[in-house]
Amino acid sequence: MTKRRLRLGGFFSVPGNHLAGWRHPDAQPTYDMDFQGYAHITQVAEAAKFDCIFFQDTVGVSGSRQLARGERARSKLSRTVKLEPTATLAALAMVTERIGLVATATTTYNEPYNIARRFMSIDHISDGRAGWNLVTSQIEDESENFGFDQHMAHAERYERAEEFYEVVTGLWDSWEDDGLLRDKKSGVYMDRDKVHFLDHVGKHFKVKGPLNITRSRQGWPVIAQAGSSEAGRELAARTADVVFTAQTKIDEAKAFYADIKKRAAKYGRSPDDIKIMPGLTPVLGKTMDDAKANYEYLQSLMPDDVALLSLTHISGGLDLTKYPLDGPLPDLPPSNAAKARQALVVKTARDHNMTLRQIARHTAAGTGHRVIVGTAEYMADEMEKWLNEEAADGFNVVCNHYPKPFEDFCTEVVPLLQQRGVFRTEYGGKTLRENLGLKMPENRYTRARLKEAS
Amino acid sequence: MTKAKRQLRFGAFFSVPGCHPTGWRHPDAVCETDLSMKLLADMARTAERGKLDCMFFQDSVAIPGSTAVYGGKVFREKNGRQAHIEPVSAIAALGAITSRIGLVSTCTTSYNEPYNVARRFLTIDHISGGRAGWNLVTSQAEDEAVNFGRDQHFEHGIRYDRAAEFHDVVVGLWDSWEDDAFLRDKASGQWFDYDKMHILNHHGKHFNVRGPLNVARSPQGRPVIAQAGSSDVGMELAARTADMVFTAQDVIKESRAFCDDMRGRLDKYGRGPEDIRIFPGIMPIVGRTETEAREKYEELRDLVDDGVGIAGVARLAGGVDIHSMDPDGPLPPLKPSNAARARQERIIAMGQRGMTIRQIGRVLAMSQSHRVLWGTPKSIADDLQAWLEAGACDGFNLLFQHYPKPLEEWVDLVIPELQRRGLFRTEYESTTFRGNLGVPIPKNRFAQNARSIQVPAAAASND
Repeated sequence: MTKRRLRLGGFFSVPGNHLAGWRHPDAQPTYDMDFQGYAHITQVAEAAKFDCIFFQDTVGVSGSRQLARGERARSKLSRTVKLEPTATLAALAMVTERIGLVATATTTYNEPYNIARRFMSIDHISDGRAGWNLVTSQIEDESENFGFDQHMAHAERYERAEEFYEVVTGLWDSWEDDGLLRDKKSGVYMDRDKVHFLDHVGKHFKVKGPLNITRSRQGWPVIAQAGSSEAGRELAARTADVVFTAQTKIDEAKAFYADIKKRAAKYGRSPDDIKIMPGLTPVLGKTMDDAKANYEYLQSLMPDDVALLSLTHISGGLDLTKYPLDGPLPDLPPSNAAKARQALVVKTARDHNMTLRQIARHTAAGTGHRVIVGTAEYMADEMEKWLNEEAADGFNVVCNHYPKPFEDFCTEVVPLLQQRGVFRTEYGGKTLRENLGLKMPENRYTRARLKEAS
Repeated sequence: MTKAKRQLRFGAFFSVPGCHPTGWRHPDAVCETDLSMKLLADMARTAERGKLDCMFFQDSVAIPGSTAVYGGKVFREKNGRQAHIEPVSAIAALGAITSRIGLVSTCTTSYNEPYNVARRFLTIDHISGGRAGWNLVTSQAEDEAVNFGRDQHFEHGIRYDRAAEFHDVVVGLWDSWEDDAFLRDKASGQWFDYDKMHILNHHGKHFNVRGPLNVARSPQGRPVIAQAGSSDVGMELAARTADMVFTAQDVIKESRAFCDDMRGRLDKYGRGPEDIRIFPGIMPIVGRTETEAREKYEELRDLVDDGVGIAGVARLAGGVDIHSMDPDGPLPPLKPSNAARARQERIIAMGQRGMTIRQIGRVLAMSQSHRVLWGTPKSIADDLQAWLEAGACDGFNLLFQHYPKPLEEWVDLVIPELQRRGLFRTEYESTTFRGNLGVPIPKNRFAQNARSIQVPAAAASND
């Protein structure tokens, strides 16, 4: 049996995922708006043979409702502005050759025709390396940028997301692979029998089609998803090629992994059709003590008031500044926003008997993702263990600041993984699907035609 | 000191694989320019070598004519423009591999949200180091409407009303952060200056948008705004908001009148006559000799499919059934079209000049109804010089019948002739698109307010 191999994604949370990471002497705090910075870390990831890079997204300034109310403390938070991720992917495609390019785009405040077109365009620009992380908008401060006083209820958001997915993938099949004839002699550019109207009429959308772009070298963009709620898991099991998740404990990760793969079987999918990639934040050191000291130093850069702000989005509207920092995390009202994320944070706090200050500092350090503090050896051990115990198919590496911790991960940890034979030393394929080991989706119309003919 | 001579400006209009709908059949045409980013990148380098002001991408959010029944069937299967890379993504990509040329893409206000559009274009402005432009349009085709849950497109008045408000929201969001709002001060831990962040809080008829935008201001302040509306309401919107105007003009005198009309509207918006650049469109056909140019022209004219041409007339006919009429007969009186008003007026003028339906169709079809200019580099330069000196333009948008050869010919044959005459730059003046166009960097509206508050009243009155 061939050895299981890791998938690696570079989850770029610029200028740093740790809320005070930008204050580190090595940090480049202008990496939020500087395209050359994005290009540099993407090229570093490509040199290390990462499967993909990934950008999270929100369609608003995080905490803008609080900013509008005059909460000046939020002006200490670094992830305020950044480059819009889909435009960035298009640009990064021009300065890279093999690495996959994945970004989040919400189904809540977009139109499916526009999203289908944009991601398929990026797939053409990159010649088959694009991926779309399909999300629903879960942050209260996004809705007010789109004319809504509050965002849609969780159930409705997922219902819309499912229909959105159907429309987008339906549009992606508009053209069969030989639909463009370009026959100068006959003067016929397209084969009208190979171009199809979707004629979708649903609860949320009415979209005729066809899309004005053909399929790409990999058929369609890779679909990623990040929802961990019941509705999110079900949608992922049915539709996702990649699942980005945030388990911090191996037992929880194994349970999640088994659950998603089991659900996928129900939809006739093989376990290999879905790659599960938890987030991982590396804090490296020459020795374990050195790594711990590096982490302590980073944490020392973060004021308590900034740490507390990292809980705003899962607080269910409760004003946590009114509670004593050394007391327990109070009971939170249910959040219409990030249900699964809230549950994860509450569980972490309860399991470890953490004070409000401790859980705030813990969350701010990794925004919920697993932080591994240790040597390169230790980190490689941990990753291999998660891989072999079926807690993960790979990891999405998200750094506390950029570019140094990411460069260090690529030059110190990746070679160890390669020596152990659990990570590639060369790209095997040209497209993201090929590199991830995913099937190319068949065109539904071609399939129907072939079925009819047989 | 002598005043610097007025120079021409050029936009290379991109409607791949050709602005001539059947130009793709030409032996020199490379049809794969519609979906190949590599070919687009090569053409961007050519255009930049020619020091052109910008690449200017057309767009529609549908396969053009996909729902129009033509010859008993849907689709205009003979047209080249069926599938193409979405142009906003294309200019983002081009921003990474060019360094001086402006990058303009069309994007509709009818089927987008202003927050998303503001964000994407300002991002591209950062990626390109201050070279992005947004061609603000309204959608006027039924085949677009049906992709966005509507049976018909919006009525002309509503479309423009929405477009005007859309513009105001977008530029308002672009001013969310003052130029020096981000401190990124590691020592104090202060990321930004709270007082230099501005929340738009827009409440209007079509949009409610709070802000702030999650993108900082760009090296040129904000993207260039281009517009192509030549109807009265379109011109008024352009006068208030556009840095660059794209227009279809056939005759030097009429174009001069258009320019005067447009510039005459600027003052009431506090704008000067140099704040806007007017680009009529031309389709150039360049030959080394007059004979070669004429032959090329005739070759391209003969590639026009009359069915495509007549369908083009029908689209502007405001519901009059053109297909049932004699194509060699006169154009009938037309009802006002809900689609492109200014374009309808131009075909009515052609009809009044005695052109038949077929002839009008050929003109429309060949060049998207823009002026076709064929000749040698010298005769073309003479023509453009006359337009410039008559105040009939600031420059031209160049519609190429196919790609990439006509663009290469423009850069290699016509540009050197214009440079010899001192009518075109030999080097870019600036690293930003605004700098090269010679239009001002808009001040941040909120920064002005902030300053006026800071000046003590007594000190101000002493000045």
